[in-house]
Amino acid sequence: MVTTPEARTRADALAAASAASADATPARSTARRDGHPAPSSPSRLNGRPRGARKTGERDRPLWMLAPGGILMVIVILVPLVLGLVISLMDLDQYTLRQWVSAPFIGISNYVEALTKSSLIQSIGISVGYSVLVTLVCLPIGVAAALATQNRFRGRGLVRSLFLVPYVLPTFVVGTVWRTMLQPDGVGNAMLANFGIDGGLWLNGPQSYWALVFVQIWASWPFIYLLVLSGLQSVDAEVHEASALDGAGWWTKLRYVILPYLKGPITLALIISFLHSVNNFTLPFVLFGIPAPADVNVLPVLTYITGFQNFRFGLSAAMAVVSLILIAIPLFIYLRAVKLDTGEDGGSRVRK
Amino acid sequence: MMKRKLVLTTALLAAGALTLAGCSSEAAPGDSAKPLDGAGKTLNVLTDANTLYPEEQQKWFADVSEQFKAKTGAQVKFETFATANDELTKIQTSVVSGQGPDIYSLGTTFTPTAYATGAFVKLSEDDWKKVGGRDRFTEASLGISGPDKDNEVGIPARSRPFVMAYNTEMLAAAGIDKPADTWDGLLEQAKKLTHDDVYGLSIAYGDNFDPWKFIWAMSTQAGNPIIDGKKVRLDDPVTIKAYETYFGWLTKDKVVNPASIGWKASQALASFADGKAAFMPMVTATSINTLDASAVAGKYAYAVMPTIPPGDTTRPAGGKEAASILSGSNFVVADYSKNKDLSFALIEMLTTAEAQKVYYETFGEMPTNADAAAALEKDNEKLAPIVAASKLSVGTPFSGAWGDVQLGMTNVVVQAIPSLNSGSVTTDQIVSALKTEQEKAQSALDRAK
Repeated sequence: MVTTPEARTRADALAAASAASADATPARSTARRDGHPAPSSPSRLNGRPRGARKTGERDRPLWMLAPGGILMVIVILVPLVLGLVISLMDLDQYTLRQWVSAPFIGISNYVEALTKSSLIQSIGISVGYSVLVTLVCLPIGVAAALATQNRFRGRGLVRSLFLVPYVLPTFVVGTVWRTMLQPDGVGNAMLANFGIDGGLWLNGPQSYWALVFVQIWASWPFIYLLVLSGLQSVDAEVHEASALDGAGWWTKLRYVILPYLKGPITLALIISFLHSVNNFTLPFVLFGIPAPADVNVLPVLTYITGFQNFRFGLSAAMAVVSLILIAIPLFIYLRAVKLDTGEDGGSRVRK
Repeated sequence: MMKRKLVLTTALLAAGALTLAGCSSEAAPGDSAKPLDGAGKTLNVLTDANTLYPEEQQKWFADVSEQFKAKTGAQVKFETFATANDELTKIQTSVVSGQGPDIYSLGTTFTPTAYATGAFVKLSEDDWKKVGGRDRFTEASLGISGPDKDNEVGIPARSRPFVMAYNTEMLAAAGIDKPADTWDGLLEQAKKLTHDDVYGLSIAYGDNFDPWKFIWAMSTQAGNPIIDGKKVRLDDPVTIKAYETYFGWLTKDKVVNPASIGWKASQALASFADGKAAFMPMVTATSINTLDASAVAGKYAYAVMPTIPPGDTTRPAGGKEAASILSGSNFVVADYSKNKDLSFALIEMLTTAEAQKVYYETFGEMPTNADAAAALEKDNEKLAPIVAASKLSVGTPFSGAWGDVQLGMTNVVVQAIPSLNSGSVTTDQIVSALKTEQEKAQSALDRAK
């Protein structure tokens, strides 16, 4: 149960990675065809399924969507609707047994969530730390991807090593870091070597930074992965052309390479943000419950309210609020998937 | 339909026979006249995974299953949960779906919440007879079976009272003949025993469960049951005093290792086992295993924790002699179970003096069966304090809101850790933290039905 949202985020990430590279592939082939670094955008757009969709619009066998559609309804829509319904009910340990007939109390749960619980603080903590993590992960991920872009001895090994934090289950990451961040743990012992008194990492104000740090440690490889896939789409000829034009490394990076990466990076940022907002396992394992006030993130608060205090209605209302919160970047994400990386890159280069 | 009726009638008759057999003498396993026909049926039992003795637990499951099959023909399938959270989730799922295990072995403090769901069998006099009679169990162990005698759901399964371990060598060297029975006295002894890198007390401030038990015990001893009818009394002066005492050990009296602000119970025990602390309050009999294999093997003993609240030399009027929370497990039978009689028969089998003795010998958990407890107290000097603590255990308030209160009490400690680290938790801080928790807990109690 604990790992499900996690797994979902990872599946999202994979889908996005493949979407990003799918976006990139046609770009490369077009570029090659007309020998222009930047694919001529209109022709490319027409060559994409968007055109094909138009022609076959009339007699597509839509029924073939049924298995997937039914699955979507069962896995996503039904629980979502149930969640909405529960958020309007007074569902707790006393009514749990006949939950269908639990009293309907309208928006009281929402009012209580927004006025009497620490939901607002939790949203602040969640959003703040997620933005921070994402922003710090970005340069690290890009730098790591650029560093392993060119072939060198042992590149395969370095690339695999970079993925280790991402591949480790969050539970393991949390347990290991919890041990290291103990007041008398390895972390503080190391800091003491530099004459720094580490203090308390798993409680108090510093716990926020501990969460940010460990989350960065665990999630930068994801940005690295997406940027790497974006870099694959940059043709060797582009590098050659810019070298011939005498572009320095920064000019080349800023005006040639980065425009290609705009799509993958946007995706990576949004998914990384969602991943952090949704991460329950890490704070749960690192700090336990009740969580210190500084790291009482949204998923933990929702969990405690529902599964510890048995206030399922209130907890569902909190979940709905957090869903809305997540829906905003998700909407941007959906737009972003349609981003045409090649086109953007092209227009920049032509300037 | 006919067949079902027949089975039911046989089951009822058999249950009656079983009760009679139980009264006269212990029915030997594999009795020729099978009292309850459970052929072809399967009983599902949900119980906590024993991480200390995993292999023994598997063997015990197999033994019980075999014995019960010989007795009734029914199969017993055990399912385990690893953590309290896991337990909660399983119960919630089963309550909502109306299917799942027939018997649950629940932590005692969770029994009130389970009772509030109404999803478990309220035991009638008849039901009690089927499990061998209510008087089969020690009186104290029944303290958290239900809100009152007529509304009980929990059948005491095992007792795990909390006691205090102490280093006999250190006490002897300091000329202390026995641990104090007041918290103030214990503190004085702890001060005397603190020197160099050895501390008087080993406390786990970072634990998710230990802290509230101290606060509850001191409050109850001073006459505040925390939940008093329709009122939560978390902001009571004696509770504030309890927190002050608990934090003061570290900040003011300095009888506790400062590293313990991050410790879980197992780390505090490890420190005691290393010979770095004189007293280790809040341990159960399961610590024997760790301690006997440690540096303090043969140099430690158990004692009942102080029962006179901080600041007092005698227990004030209204205070209870609460040596420990009523800790352990209760069996509850699910209301949706189609095998209730078989379930009661299994519980009967597991709570006989003989079965509980076996259980104690395998896992080190105290019997709830009165005869077994008495025998153990007589035979084993080392365990006598544990059995005594079991008798002096007091149930936490029987309310569906107890979970909220318990979480609130722990939360006060969790949020005070940074101040503990910097060396002082002020009374104002405690008062304001308690005020917040008081409001939350009171609103949870107001919802109780």
